[in-house]
Amino acid sequence: MNMRLRDGLNQSILTLIALFVAILFFFPIFYMVMTSFEAESNVFSNTVRILPQDFQGLRNYQRAFEIAPIARFFFNSAFMAVVDVIFTVFFCAMAGYGFAKFKFFGRNALFIFILSTMMVPFQILLIPLYVQIQAFGWADSYYGLIIPGLLNAFGVFMMRQFCLGIPDDLIDAGRIDGAGELRIFWNIALPLLTAPAASLAIIIFLWSWNNFLWPLVVVQSQEYITLPVGLTVFAQGFQRQPMWAAAMAVSVMATIPIMFLFIFFQRYFVEGMALSGMKG
Amino acid sequence: MNQRLIFSGWRIKQKRQLWGYLFVMPAVLFFAVFMLYPMINGIYLSLTTFTLLKPPTFIGLENFVDIFFRDRLFRQSVGVTISFVLGTTIPVWVLSLLIALLFYQRFPGREVLKSLFFMPLLPSLTVVSIVWLVLLNPSGLLTNLLFPLTGTRQIRWLSSIDLTPLMVIVVNNWTTIPFYMIIWLAGLSSIPPVFREAAMVDGASRLVSFWRVELPLLRPTAVLVAAVSTITAFQSFNIQYVLTPNHGGPVDSTTTLGILIWKYGFQFYRMGTAAAVSVVLFVVILLITMLQIKLGRSEEYTI
Repeated sequence: MNMRLRDGLNQSILTLIALFVAILFFFPIFYMVMTSFEAESNVFSNTVRILPQDFQGLRNYQRAFEIAPIARFFFNSAFMAVVDVIFTVFFCAMAGYGFAKFKFFGRNALFIFILSTMMVPFQILLIPLYVQIQAFGWADSYYGLIIPGLLNAFGVFMMRQFCLGIPDDLIDAGRIDGAGELRIFWNIALPLLTAPAASLAIIIFLWSWNNFLWPLVVVQSQEYITLPVGLTVFAQGFQRQPMWAAAMAVSVMATIPIMFLFIFFQRYFVEGMALSGMKG
Repeated sequence: MNQRLIFSGWRIKQKRQLWGYLFVMPAVLFFAVFMLYPMINGIYLSLTTFTLLKPPTFIGLENFVDIFFRDRLFRQSVGVTISFVLGTTIPVWVLSLLIALLFYQRFPGREVLKSLFFMPLLPSLTVVSIVWLVLLNPSGLLTNLLFPLTGTRQIRWLSSIDLTPLMVIVVNNWTTIPFYMIIWLAGLSSIPPVFREAAMVDGASRLVSFWRVELPLLRPTAVLVAAVSTITAFQSFNIQYVLTPNHGGPVDSTTTLGILIWKYGFQFYRMGTAAAVSVVLFVVILLITMLQIKLGRSEEYTI
Protein backbone atom coordinates (compact mmCIF):
# COMPACT_ATOMS: atom_id res chain seq x y z
CA MET A 1 0.00 0.00 0.00
CA ASN A 2 2.74 2.39 1.06
CA MET A 3 4.68 1.43 -2.06
CA ARG A 4 1.69 2.18 -4.27
CA LEU A 5 1.21 5.53 -2.63
CA ARG A 6 4.83 6.41 -3.29
CA ASP A 7 4.54 5.29 -6.89
CA GLY A 8 1.45 7.44 -7.29
CA LEU A 9 3.28 10.43 -5.85
CA ASN A 10 6.27 9.86 -8.14
CA GLN A 11 3.96 9.64 -11.12
CA SER A 12 2.22 12.89 -10.26
CA ILE A 13 5.58 14.62 -9.98
CA LEU A 14 6.52 13.25 -13.40
CA THR A 15 3.24 14.49 -14.85
CA LEU A 16 3.88 17.94 -13.39
CA ILE A 17 7.39 18.14 -14.86
CA ALA A 18 6.14 16.89 -18.22
CA LEU A 19 3.32 19.43 -18.14
CA PHE A 20 5.83 22.22 -17.57
CA VAL A 21 8.05 21.02 -20.45
CA ALA A 22 5.07 20.56 -22.78
CA ILE A 23 3.74 24.07 -22.07
CA LEU A 24 7.17 25.59 -22.62
CA PHE A 25 7.44 23.98 -26.04
CA PHE A 26 3.81 24.26 -27.06
CA PHE A 27 3.18 27.84 -25.99
CA PRO A 28 4.68 29.69 -29.02
CA ILE A 29 2.51 27.58 -31.34
CA PHE A 30 -0.55 28.35 -29.25
CA TYR A 31 0.38 32.03 -29.27
CA MET A 32 0.73 31.95 -33.06
CA VAL A 33 -2.82 30.63 -33.43
CA MET A 34 -4.25 33.10 -30.92
CA THR A 35 -2.49 36.11 -32.49
CA SER A 36 -3.83 35.15 -35.90
CA PHE A 37 -7.29 36.05 -34.55
CA GLU A 38 -6.25 39.29 -32.86
CA ALA A 39 -6.76 42.82 -34.18
CA GLU A 40 -3.60 44.16 -35.76
CA SER A 41 -3.43 47.18 -33.44
CA ASN A 42 -3.52 44.95 -30.36
CA VAL A 43 -0.62 42.65 -31.25
CA PHE A 44 1.88 44.76 -29.35
CA SER A 45 0.54 46.48 -26.27
CA ASN A 46 1.67 47.22 -22.75
CA THR A 47 -0.16 44.31 -21.21
CA VAL A 48 0.47 40.61 -21.09
CA ARG A 49 -2.04 39.44 -23.66
CA ILE A 50 -2.37 35.83 -24.68
CA LEU A 51 -5.97 35.37 -25.78
CA PRO A 52 -7.21 37.78 -28.45
CA GLN A 53 -8.86 40.83 -26.90
CA ASP A 54 -10.52 41.96 -30.09
CA PHE A 55 -11.46 38.72 -31.79
CA GLN A 56 -11.32 39.13 -35.57
CA GLY A 57 -12.64 35.78 -36.78
CA LEU A 58 -11.03 34.99 -40.10
CA ARG A 59 -10.42 38.62 -41.11
CA ASN A 60 -6.65 38.36 -40.79
CA TYR A 61 -6.75 35.27 -42.97
CA GLN A 62 -8.68 37.15 -45.64
CA ARG A 63 -6.35 40.12 -45.37
CA ALA A 64 -3.32 37.89 -45.89
CA PHE A 65 -4.62 36.94 -49.31
CA GLU A 66 -4.93 40.63 -50.19
CA ILE A 67 -1.42 41.51 -49.03
CA ALA A 68 0.41 38.84 -51.05
CA PRO A 69 -0.52 36.15 -53.61
CA ILE A 70 -0.75 33.51 -50.90
CA ALA A 71 -2.85 31.17 -53.03
CA ARG A 72 -0.12 31.11 -55.65
CA PHE A 73 2.57 30.44 -53.01
CA PHE A 74 0.44 27.63 -51.67
CA PHE A 75 0.00 26.08 -55.06
CA ASN A 76 3.75 26.28 -55.80
CA SER A 77 4.68 24.67 -52.49
CA ALA A 78 2.12 21.92 -52.91
CA PHE A 79 3.10 21.30 -56.51
CA MET A 80 6.79 21.06 -55.64
CA ALA A 81 6.16 18.81 -52.65
CA VAL A 82 3.87 16.42 -54.53
CA VAL A 83 6.19 16.10 -57.53
CA ASP A 84 9.17 15.59 -55.20
CA VAL A 85 7.34 12.88 -53.26
CA ILE A 86 6.18 10.95 -56.35
CA PHE A 87 9.56 11.01 -58.07
CA THR A 88 11.60 10.32 -54.95
CA VAL A 89 9.53 7.38 -53.81
CA PHE A 90 9.30 5.79 -57.24
CA PHE A 91 12.89 6.21 -58.40
CA CYS A 92 14.41 5.50 -54.98
CA ALA A 93 12.37 2.31 -54.74
CA MET A 94 13.50 1.36 -58.22
CA ALA A 95 17.17 2.04 -57.48
CA GLY A 96 16.96 0.38 -54.08
CA TYR A 97 15.41 -2.69 -55.70
CA GLY A 98 18.13 -2.78 -58.37
CA PHE A 99 20.90 -2.54 -55.79
CA ALA A 100 19.35 -5.14 -53.50
CA LYS A 101 18.14 -7.76 -55.94
CA PHE A 102 20.44 -7.75 -58.97
CA LYS A 103 24.09 -8.61 -59.37
CA PHE A 104 25.96 -6.54 -61.92
CA PHE A 105 29.43 -5.27 -62.52
CA GLY A 106 30.18 -2.11 -60.54
CA ARG A 107 27.16 -2.46 -58.28
CA ASN A 108 28.96 -1.75 -55.03
CA ALA A 109 30.92 1.13 -56.48
CA LEU A 110 27.73 2.79 -57.75
CA PHE A 111 25.97 2.23 -54.45
CA ILE A 112 28.86 3.72 -52.48
CA PHE A 113 28.88 6.66 -54.88
CA ILE A 114 25.21 7.38 -54.13
CA LEU A 115 25.71 6.87 -50.40
CA SER A 116 28.64 9.25 -50.31
CA THR A 117 26.51 12.06 -51.75
CA MET A 118 24.58 11.89 -48.46
CA MET A 119 27.61 13.43 -46.79
CA VAL A 120 27.61 16.45 -49.07
CA PRO A 121 25.77 19.30 -47.37
CA PHE A 122 23.51 21.31 -49.63
CA GLN A 123 25.36 24.54 -48.97
CA ILE A 124 28.40 23.22 -50.80
CA LEU A 125 26.22 22.73 -53.88
CA LEU A 126 24.41 26.04 -53.64
CA ILE A 127 26.74 28.15 -55.80
CA PRO A 128 27.72 25.58 -58.46
CA LEU A 129 24.18 24.23 -58.71
CA TYR A 130 22.83 27.73 -59.24
CA VAL A 131 25.44 28.36 -61.95
CA GLN A 132 24.52 25.06 -63.59
CA ILE A 133 20.76 25.66 -63.46
CA GLN A 134 21.30 29.06 -64.97
CA ALA A 135 23.37 27.54 -67.75
CA PHE A 136 20.52 25.10 -68.42
CA GLY A 137 18.20 28.11 -68.71
CA TRP A 138 16.16 26.82 -65.77
CA ALA A 139 16.65 29.72 -63.33
CA ASP A 140 13.38 31.27 -62.20
CA SER A 141 11.18 28.40 -63.39
CA TYR A 142 9.53 25.27 -62.04
CA TYR A 143 12.31 23.23 -63.66
CA GLY A 144 15.00 24.98 -61.66
CA LEU A 145 12.90 24.92 -58.52
CA ILE A 146 11.97 21.25 -58.59
CA ILE A 147 14.36 19.14 -60.66
CA PRO A 148 17.51 19.36 -58.47
CA GLY A 149 15.48 17.95 -55.55
CA LEU A 150 13.80 15.08 -57.35
CA LEU A 151 15.87 12.28 -55.88
CA ASN A 152 17.39 11.71 -52.55
CA ALA A 153 20.35 9.53 -51.56
CA PHE A 154 18.86 8.72 -48.20
CA GLY A 155 15.77 7.41 -50.01
CA VAL A 156 17.87 5.07 -52.14
CA PHE A 157 19.66 3.78 -49.06
CA MET A 158 16.45 3.28 -47.11
CA MET A 159 14.69 1.50 -49.97
CA ARG A 160 17.65 -0.79 -50.55
CA GLN A 161 17.60 -1.81 -46.87
CA PHE A 162 13.94 -2.76 -47.10
CA CYS A 163 14.34 -4.45 -50.50
CA LEU A 164 16.98 -6.74 -48.98
CA GLY A 165 14.17 -8.14 -46.87
CA ILE A 166 12.10 -9.23 -49.88
CA PRO A 167 12.58 -13.00 -50.28
CA ASP A 168 14.34 -14.00 -53.53
CA ASP A 169 11.95 -16.93 -53.87
CA LEU A 170 9.08 -14.53 -54.33
CA ILE A 171 10.86 -12.80 -57.21
CA ASP A 172 11.90 -16.10 -58.79
CA ALA A 173 8.34 -17.35 -58.53
CA GLY A 174 7.27 -14.32 -60.53
CA ARG A 175 9.94 -15.06 -63.13
CA ILE A 176 8.86 -18.69 -63.44
CA ASP A 177 5.31 -17.52 -63.98
CA GLY A 178 6.64 -15.55 -66.90
CA ALA A 179 6.34 -12.04 -65.50
CA GLY A 180 8.78 -9.45 -66.87
CA GLU A 181 11.19 -7.69 -64.52
CA LEU A 182 9.23 -4.43 -64.53
CA ARG A 183 6.04 -6.29 -63.74
CA ILE A 184 7.73 -8.10 -60.86
CA PHE A 185 8.94 -4.77 -59.52
CA TRP A 186 5.53 -3.17 -59.89
CA ASN A 187 3.30 -6.06 -58.76
CA ILE A 188 5.47 -7.92 -56.27
CA ALA A 189 8.17 -5.64 -54.85
CA LEU A 190 6.37 -2.29 -54.64
CA PRO A 191 3.36 -3.58 -52.67
CA LEU A 192 5.78 -5.01 -50.09
CA LEU A 193 7.43 -1.60 -49.73
CA THR A 194 4.28 0.31 -48.76
CA ALA A 195 5.26 1.00 -45.13
CA PRO A 196 8.79 2.31 -45.77
CA ALA A 197 7.49 4.18 -48.82
CA ALA A 198 4.95 5.93 -46.60
CA SER A 199 7.66 6.99 -44.15
CA LEU A 200 9.84 8.19 -47.00
CA ALA A 201 6.95 10.05 -48.63
CA ILE A 202 6.15 11.90 -45.42
CA ILE A 203 9.74 12.90 -44.72
CA ILE A 204 10.20 14.08 -48.33
CA PHE A 205 6.97 16.05 -48.20
CA LEU A 206 8.17 17.72 -45.01
CA TRP A 207 11.58 18.59 -46.47
CA SER A 208 10.07 19.88 -49.66
CA TRP A 209 7.28 21.88 -48.06
CA ASN A 210 9.69 23.52 -45.62
CA ASN A 211 12.63 23.95 -48.01
CA PHE A 212 13.95 27.47 -47.92
CA LEU A 213 17.47 28.12 -49.19
CA TRP A 214 17.16 26.69 -52.71
CA PRO A 215 13.75 28.25 -53.52
CA LEU A 216 15.08 31.53 -52.11
CA VAL A 217 17.95 31.77 -54.57
CA VAL A 218 16.64 29.99 -57.66
CA VAL A 219 13.32 31.77 -58.06
CA GLN A 220 12.62 35.51 -58.21
CA SER A 221 9.25 36.03 -59.85
CA GLN A 222 6.09 35.81 -57.75
CA GLU A 223 4.74 33.15 -60.08
CA TYR A 224 7.14 30.54 -58.71
CA ILE A 225 7.76 31.65 -55.13
CA THR A 226 6.99 28.99 -52.51
CA LEU A 227 5.29 29.52 -49.18
CA PRO A 228 8.34 29.65 -46.86
CA VAL A 229 10.00 32.28 -49.06
CA GLY A 230 6.75 34.14 -49.62
CA LEU A 231 6.25 34.32 -45.86
CA THR A 232 9.37 36.43 -45.44
CA VAL A 233 7.50 39.22 -47.27
CA PHE A 234 5.41 39.60 -44.13
CA ALA A 235 8.44 39.73 -41.89
CA GLN A 236 10.25 42.36 -43.93
CA GLY A 237 7.43 44.64 -44.96
CA PHE A 238 6.31 45.50 -41.46
CA GLN A 239 7.62 49.06 -41.54
CA ARG A 240 5.06 50.02 -44.17
CA GLN A 241 2.02 48.84 -42.26
CA PRO A 242 1.45 46.54 -39.36
CA MET A 243 0.64 43.05 -40.56
CA TRP A 244 1.83 40.73 -37.84
CA ALA A 245 -1.60 39.23 -37.27
CA ALA A 246 -1.83 38.48 -40.99
CA ALA A 247 1.66 36.97 -40.85
CA MET A 248 0.48 34.70 -38.04
CA ALA A 249 -2.55 33.73 -40.13
CA VAL A 250 -0.32 32.68 -43.04
CA SER A 251 1.97 30.84 -40.63
CA VAL A 252 -0.99 28.87 -39.32
CA MET A 253 -2.11 28.04 -42.86
CA ALA A 254 1.41 26.96 -43.82
CA THR A 255 1.54 24.60 -40.85
CA ILE A 256 -1.90 23.02 -41.28
CA PRO A 257 -0.90 20.48 -44.00
CA ILE A 258 1.95 19.22 -41.83
CA MET A 259 -0.31 19.12 -38.80
CA PHE A 260 -2.67 16.87 -40.76
CA LEU A 261 0.16 14.53 -41.73
CA PHE A 262 1.28 14.40 -38.14
CA ILE A 263 -2.18 13.63 -36.77
CA PHE A 264 -3.12 10.98 -39.33
CA PHE A 265 0.24 9.34 -39.96
CA GLN A 266 2.02 9.88 -36.67
CA ARG A 267 3.69 6.48 -36.77
CA TYR A 268 5.23 6.97 -40.25
CA PHE A 269 6.05 10.55 -39.39
CA VAL A 270 8.08 9.68 -36.32
CA GLU A 271 9.59 6.64 -38.00
CA GLY A 272 10.70 8.64 -41.02
CA MET A 273 12.37 11.22 -38.83
CA ALA A 274 14.08 8.68 -36.62
CA LEU A 275 15.31 6.75 -39.67
CA SER A 276 16.60 9.69 -41.64
CA GLY A 277 18.13 11.44 -38.66
CA MET A 278 17.12 14.73 -40.23
CA LYS A 279 14.37 17.24 -39.81
CA GLY A 280 15.07 19.07 -43.02
CA MET B 1 21.39 -29.34 -76.84
CA ASN B 2 23.56 -29.13 -73.78
CA GLN B 3 25.48 -26.26 -75.26
CA ARG B 4 22.32 -24.37 -76.01
CA LEU B 5 21.19 -24.76 -72.42
CA ILE B 6 24.44 -23.32 -71.12
CA PHE B 7 24.20 -20.54 -73.65
CA SER B 8 20.67 -19.63 -72.61
CA GLY B 9 21.73 -19.68 -68.94
CA TRP B 10 24.49 -17.25 -69.80
CA ARG B 11 22.03 -15.11 -71.68
CA ILE B 12 19.63 -14.99 -68.76
CA LYS B 13 22.49 -13.89 -66.55
CA GLN B 14 23.43 -11.19 -69.05
CA LYS B 15 19.85 -10.04 -69.22
CA ARG B 16 19.60 -9.85 -65.43
CA GLN B 17 22.73 -7.70 -65.32
CA LEU B 18 21.17 -5.40 -67.86
CA TRP B 19 17.99 -5.12 -65.79
CA GLY B 20 20.07 -4.29 -62.74
CA TYR B 21 21.64 -1.40 -64.62
CA LEU B 22 18.26 -0.24 -65.88
CA PHE B 23 16.83 -0.14 -62.37
CA VAL B 24 19.64 1.89 -60.83
CA MET B 25 20.46 4.05 -63.87
CA PRO B 26 17.97 6.91 -63.33
CA ALA B 27 19.26 7.43 -59.79
CA VAL B 28 22.93 7.13 -60.77
CA LEU B 29 22.51 9.62 -63.62
CA PHE B 30 20.63 12.02 -61.39
CA PHE B 31 23.31 12.02 -58.71
CA ALA B 32 26.05 12.37 -61.30
CA VAL B 33 24.42 15.44 -62.86
CA PHE B 34 23.04 17.18 -59.76
CA MET B 35 25.58 16.15 -57.09
CA LEU B 36 28.90 14.98 -58.46
CA TYR B 37 29.20 17.49 -61.27
CA PRO B 38 28.27 20.58 -59.22
CA MET B 39 30.59 19.41 -56.45
CA ILE B 40 33.56 19.22 -58.78
CA ASN B 41 32.52 22.44 -60.44
CA GLY B 42 32.27 24.07 -57.01
CA ILE B 43 35.87 23.20 -56.27
CA TYR B 44 36.86 24.62 -59.65
CA LEU B 45 34.84 27.81 -59.07
CA SER B 46 36.58 28.31 -55.72
CA LEU B 47 39.80 28.73 -57.73
CA THR B 48 38.36 31.42 -59.96
CA THR B 49 37.00 34.91 -59.85
CA PHE B 50 33.46 34.85 -61.15
CA THR B 51 30.59 37.32 -61.08
CA LEU B 52 28.02 35.45 -63.24
CA LEU B 53 28.40 38.12 -65.94
CA LYS B 54 31.69 37.00 -67.48
CA PRO B 55 33.06 33.45 -67.64
CA PRO B 56 35.16 32.49 -64.60
CA THR B 57 38.89 33.33 -64.68
CA PHE B 58 41.32 30.98 -62.96
CA ILE B 59 43.26 32.62 -60.12
CA GLY B 60 44.65 29.61 -58.24
CA LEU B 61 44.38 29.71 -54.46
CA GLU B 62 43.87 33.47 -54.35
CA ASN B 63 40.34 33.20 -52.88
CA PHE B 64 41.56 31.01 -50.03
CA VAL B 65 44.48 33.31 -49.26
CA ASP B 66 41.97 36.14 -49.33
CA ILE B 67 39.44 34.69 -46.91
CA PHE B 68 42.04 33.32 -44.50
CA PHE B 69 44.36 36.31 -44.31
CA ARG B 70 42.57 39.43 -45.49
CA ASP B 71 38.87 38.92 -45.01
CA ARG B 72 37.70 40.21 -41.61
CA LEU B 73 34.11 39.20 -42.29
CA PHE B 74 35.12 35.58 -42.87
CA ARG B 75 37.10 35.47 -39.64
CA GLN B 76 34.21 36.99 -37.72
CA SER B 77 31.83 34.56 -39.35
CA VAL B 78 33.94 31.60 -38.24
CA GLY B 79 33.68 32.90 -34.68
CA VAL B 80 29.92 33.42 -34.98
CA THR B 81 29.50 29.92 -36.38
CA ILE B 82 31.58 28.26 -33.68
CA SER B 83 29.73 29.97 -30.85
CA PHE B 84 26.42 29.06 -32.51
CA VAL B 85 27.56 25.44 -32.81
CA LEU B 86 28.61 25.31 -29.15
CA GLY B 87 25.47 27.10 -28.00
CA THR B 88 23.19 24.70 -29.81
CA THR B 89 24.80 21.25 -29.85
CA ILE B 90 25.70 20.85 -26.17
CA PRO B 91 22.44 22.12 -24.61
CA VAL B 92 20.41 20.31 -27.26
CA TRP B 93 22.22 17.04 -26.60
CA VAL B 94 21.68 17.22 -22.84
CA LEU B 95 18.13 18.58 -22.83
CA SER B 96 16.80 16.28 -25.55
CA LEU B 97 18.21 13.28 -23.67
CA LEU B 98 16.70 14.41 -20.36
CA ILE B 99 13.30 15.00 -21.97
CA ALA B 100 13.47 11.64 -23.75
CA LEU B 101 14.16 9.97 -20.39
CA LEU B 102 11.22 11.84 -18.88
CA PHE B 103 8.79 10.67 -21.56
CA TYR B 104 10.25 7.17 -21.40
CA GLN B 105 8.74 6.82 -17.91
CA ARG B 106 5.13 5.92 -17.32
CA PHE B 107 2.81 8.55 -15.94
CA PRO B 108 -0.77 9.70 -16.52
CA GLY B 109 -1.20 12.07 -19.48
CA ARG B 110 2.08 11.03 -21.07
CA GLU B 111 0.84 10.67 -24.65
CA VAL B 112 -1.03 13.99 -24.73
CA LEU B 113 1.86 15.92 -23.20
CA LYS B 114 4.31 14.24 -25.57
CA SER B 115 2.23 15.31 -28.55
CA LEU B 116 2.14 18.90 -27.31
CA PHE B 117 5.88 18.81 -26.77
CA PHE B 118 6.39 17.59 -30.36
CA MET B 119 4.55 20.55 -31.87
CA PRO B 120 7.61 22.77 -32.56
CA LEU B 121 8.72 20.07 -35.02
CA LEU B 122 5.89 20.81 -37.39
CA PRO B 123 6.21 24.42 -38.59
CA SER B 124 8.97 25.24 -41.05
CA LEU B 125 11.98 27.17 -39.76
CA THR B 126 10.59 30.23 -41.54
CA VAL B 127 7.30 29.99 -39.66
CA VAL B 128 9.19 29.36 -36.42
CA SER B 129 11.29 32.46 -36.98
CA ILE B 130 8.28 34.64 -37.80
CA VAL B 131 6.42 33.51 -34.69
CA TRP B 132 9.48 34.37 -32.60
CA LEU B 133 9.79 37.72 -34.37
CA VAL B 134 6.43 38.54 -32.81
CA LEU B 135 7.27 37.08 -29.39
CA LEU B 136 10.62 38.89 -29.35
CA ASN B 137 9.40 42.23 -30.66
CA PRO B 138 10.90 45.05 -28.52
CA SER B 139 7.44 45.57 -27.01
CA GLY B 140 6.24 42.02 -27.52
CA LEU B 141 4.99 39.38 -25.11
CA LEU B 142 8.36 38.40 -23.65
CA THR B 143 9.20 41.99 -22.79
CA ASN B 144 5.83 42.40 -21.12
CA LEU B 145 6.14 39.14 -19.21
CA LEU B 146 9.48 40.24 -17.83
CA PHE B 147 8.30 43.78 -17.04
CA PRO B 148 7.86 43.11 -13.29
CA LEU B 149 11.52 42.04 -13.17
CA THR B 150 13.15 44.46 -15.60
CA GLY B 151 10.92 47.51 -15.27
CA THR B 152 11.29 48.31 -18.95
CA ARG B 153 8.76 48.17 -21.78
CA GLN B 154 11.40 48.01 -24.51
CA ILE B 155 13.93 45.22 -24.82
CA ARG B 156 15.93 44.99 -28.05
CA TRP B 157 15.98 41.21 -28.23
CA LEU B 158 16.83 41.12 -31.91
CA SER B 159 18.75 44.29 -32.54
CA SER B 160 21.55 44.32 -29.99
CA ILE B 161 24.89 42.66 -30.58
CA ASP B 162 24.79 40.88 -27.21
CA LEU B 163 21.25 39.55 -27.18
CA THR B 164 20.62 38.63 -30.80
CA PRO B 165 23.10 35.73 -31.14
CA LEU B 166 21.68 34.32 -27.91
CA MET B 167 18.10 34.60 -29.16
CA VAL B 168 19.01 32.83 -32.40
CA ILE B 169 20.35 29.97 -30.27
CA VAL B 170 17.20 29.90 -28.10
CA VAL B 171 14.90 29.76 -31.13
CA ASN B 172 17.02 27.09 -32.79
CA ASN B 173 17.09 24.92 -29.67
CA TRP B 174 13.36 25.31 -29.11
CA THR B 175 12.60 23.84 -32.52
CA THR B 176 15.32 21.17 -32.63
CA ILE B 177 15.09 19.64 -29.15
CA PRO B 178 11.82 17.78 -29.92
CA PHE B 179 13.41 16.33 -33.03
CA TYR B 180 16.49 14.95 -31.28
CA MET B 181 14.26 13.74 -28.48
CA ILE B 182 12.54 11.48 -31.06
CA ILE B 183 15.91 10.01 -31.98
CA TRP B 184 16.83 9.41 -28.33
CA LEU B 185 13.44 7.83 -27.73
CA ALA B 186 13.94 5.51 -30.72
CA GLY B 187 17.34 4.54 -29.29
CA LEU B 188 15.96 4.00 -25.80
CA SER B 189 13.13 1.77 -26.95
CA SER B 190 15.52 -0.37 -28.98
CA ILE B 191 17.30 -1.48 -25.80
CA PRO B 192 15.96 -4.88 -24.78
CA PRO B 193 14.35 -4.56 -21.33
CA VAL B 194 16.32 -7.67 -20.27
CA PHE B 195 19.33 -5.48 -19.59
CA ARG B 196 17.58 -3.14 -17.20
CA GLU B 197 15.83 -6.02 -15.48
CA ALA B 198 19.13 -7.82 -15.02
CA ALA B 199 20.68 -4.71 -13.50
CA MET B 200 17.68 -4.34 -11.16
CA VAL B 201 17.93 -7.95 -10.07
CA ASP B 202 21.59 -7.33 -9.28
CA GLY B 203 20.43 -4.54 -6.99
CA ALA B 204 21.45 -1.56 -9.10
CA SER B 205 19.52 1.64 -8.49
CA ARG B 206 17.66 3.34 -11.35
CA LEU B 207 20.43 5.89 -11.77
CA VAL B 208 23.27 3.38 -11.72
CA SER B 209 21.41 1.13 -14.14
CA PHE B 210 20.99 4.04 -16.54
CA TRP B 211 24.57 5.23 -16.24
CA ARG B 212 26.19 1.81 -16.39
CA VAL B 213 23.86 -0.21 -18.59
CA GLU B 214 21.65 1.91 -20.80
CA LEU B 215 23.92 4.82 -21.65
CA PRO B 216 26.73 2.63 -23.04
CA LEU B 217 24.16 0.83 -25.18
CA LEU B 218 22.93 4.20 -26.41
CA ARG B 219 26.34 5.10 -27.71
CA PRO B 220 25.41 4.99 -31.42
CA THR B 221 22.43 7.25 -30.71
CA ALA B 222 24.57 9.59 -28.62
CA VAL B 223 27.10 9.92 -31.43
CA LEU B 224 24.35 10.33 -34.04
CA VAL B 225 22.67 13.17 -32.12
CA ALA B 226 26.00 14.90 -31.52
CA ALA B 227 27.11 14.56 -35.15
CA VAL B 228 23.84 15.48 -36.84
CA SER B 229 23.30 18.49 -34.60
CA THR B 230 26.88 19.69 -35.17
CA ILE B 231 26.64 19.27 -38.92
CA THR B 232 23.30 21.07 -39.20
CA ALA B 233 24.51 23.83 -36.85
CA PHE B 234 27.53 24.48 -39.05
CA GLN B 235 25.18 25.01 -42.00
CA SER B 236 22.61 27.09 -40.14
CA PHE B 237 20.96 29.64 -42.42
CA ASN B 238 17.19 29.82 -42.30
CA ILE B 239 16.65 31.11 -38.75
CA GLN B 240 19.37 33.76 -39.08
CA TYR B 241 18.01 34.87 -42.45
CA VAL B 242 14.48 35.49 -41.21
CA LEU B 243 14.96 36.35 -37.55
CA THR B 244 17.80 38.86 -37.62
CA PRO B 245 17.93 42.36 -39.12
CA ASN B 246 19.60 42.55 -42.56
CA HIS B 247 19.96 38.74 -42.70
CA GLY B 248 22.77 38.12 -40.22
CA GLY B 249 22.84 41.40 -38.32
CA PRO B 250 23.08 43.47 -36.29
CA VAL B 251 26.59 44.27 -37.57
CA ASP B 252 27.03 40.70 -38.79
CA SER B 253 26.85 39.35 -35.24
CA THR B 254 24.77 36.41 -36.51
CA THR B 255 26.39 35.97 -39.92
CA THR B 256 27.16 32.26 -39.87
CA LEU B 257 29.15 30.64 -42.66
CA GLY B 258 25.85 29.61 -44.23
CA ILE B 259 24.70 33.24 -44.36
CA LEU B 260 28.14 34.33 -45.56
CA ILE B 261 28.06 31.97 -48.56
CA TRP B 262 24.68 33.37 -49.53
CA LYS B 263 25.85 36.97 -49.02
CA TYR B 264 28.97 36.57 -51.11
CA GLY B 265 27.12 34.66 -53.79
CA PHE B 266 23.79 36.43 -54.09
CA GLN B 267 24.31 39.88 -52.60
CA PHE B 268 27.84 40.71 -53.73
CA TYR B 269 27.91 38.31 -56.71
CA ARG B 270 31.38 37.11 -55.73
CA MET B 271 30.70 33.50 -56.73
CA GLY B 272 34.39 32.50 -56.51
CA THR B 273 34.73 33.70 -52.91
CA ALA B 274 31.40 32.11 -52.00
CA ALA B 275 32.54 28.81 -53.50
CA ALA B 276 35.79 29.02 -51.52
CA VAL B 277 33.88 29.52 -48.26
CA SER B 278 31.70 26.52 -49.08
CA VAL B 279 34.77 24.38 -49.75
CA VAL B 280 36.08 25.30 -46.28
CA LEU B 281 32.70 24.44 -44.78
CA PHE B 282 32.68 21.16 -46.67
CA VAL B 283 36.06 20.13 -45.28
CA VAL B 284 34.90 20.88 -41.73
CA ILE B 285 31.72 18.85 -42.20
CA LEU B 286 33.61 15.99 -43.81
CA LEU B 287 35.94 15.80 -40.80
CA ILE B 288 32.97 15.66 -38.41
CA THR B 289 31.33 12.95 -40.52
CA MET B 290 34.49 10.87 -40.45
CA LEU B 291 34.75 11.31 -36.70
CA GLN B 292 31.14 10.20 -36.38
CA ILE B 293 31.76 7.07 -38.44
CA LYS B 294 34.80 6.27 -36.31
CA LEU B 295 33.07 6.82 -32.96
CA GLY B 296 29.65 5.58 -33.91
CA ARG B 297 30.34 1.90 -34.37
CA SER B 298 27.81 0.27 -32.12
CA GLU B 299 29.00 -1.76 -29.20
CA GLU B 300 28.32 -5.39 -29.90
CA TYR B 301 25.97 -7.08 -27.54
CA THR B 302 24.32 -10.44 -27.48
CA ILE B 303 21.48 -11.77 -25.47
